[in-house]
Amino acid sequence: MQDLNTEIRDIIAVIIEKKPEEITGDARFFEDLGVDSMMALEILAAIEKKYKISIPEEKLAQLTTLNQTIAVAKEYMSQTNG
Amino acid sequence: MDNVLDIEKIQELLPQRFPFLLIDRIVELAPAQKVVAVKNVSINEGFFSGHFPGRPVMPGAMLIEAMIQASMVMFYSGQVSAACRKPLYSLSSMKAKFVHPVLAGNQVRITANAIKSESSVAIVAAEASVEGKEAARAELIFRLEL
Repeated sequence: MQDLNTEIRDIIAVIIEKKPEEITGDARFFEDLGVDSMMALEILAAIEKKYKISIPEEKLAQLTTLNQTIAVAKEYMSQTNG
Repeated sequence: MDNVLDIEKIQELLPQRFPFLLIDRIVELAPAQKVVAVKNVSINEGFFSGHFPGRPVMPGAMLIEAMIQASMVMFYSGQVSAACRKPLYSLSSMKAKFVHPVLAGNQVRITANAIKSESSVAIVAAEASVEGKEAARAELIFRLEL
């Protein structure tokens, strides 16, 4: 099974049209990678769909780096799994 | 608000006009959540004169536009002064699949559900069907001015 971190990085890479290797754990989405609010919402929706979880829109502000995004996804995946 | 909108109410919400107003009636509406719209496709539609002579197929782009218009009714129906003469949105990206042609004489039923929305961005999943048979589906991403 593909590592979760790699999966999420690949999802983001497709949405923001960057090479996966450009998306390092701490690269800032808005400042370094040119992500805008629309792409951020798209990332949120894609992660929800892939992992069948629901993440509230309020969490959008926390999606600032790959590491942060993975942390938010894990938080909601653990809730879903009980 | 009544959950059914006629063409006059639709025109209060959307800036599009002939020949580019592509929904005729709203039959179900949950503001910012879900909308079901109906489009009656007549042989008199302007696009049929060229698409295609002798074989009137509604262009896929027009189906997408109908989905967009239904979605905008969904987002703007809750607004008191939504009457607009300028567009308050723009389509930013979309993924679509066309599975069955829409022909002159068909009644198209468009269902749109808001998947995710935030202050200025929304993602919508839409489907167009004719007599219960899927014609097209799309995921649309908009920028909104609410």
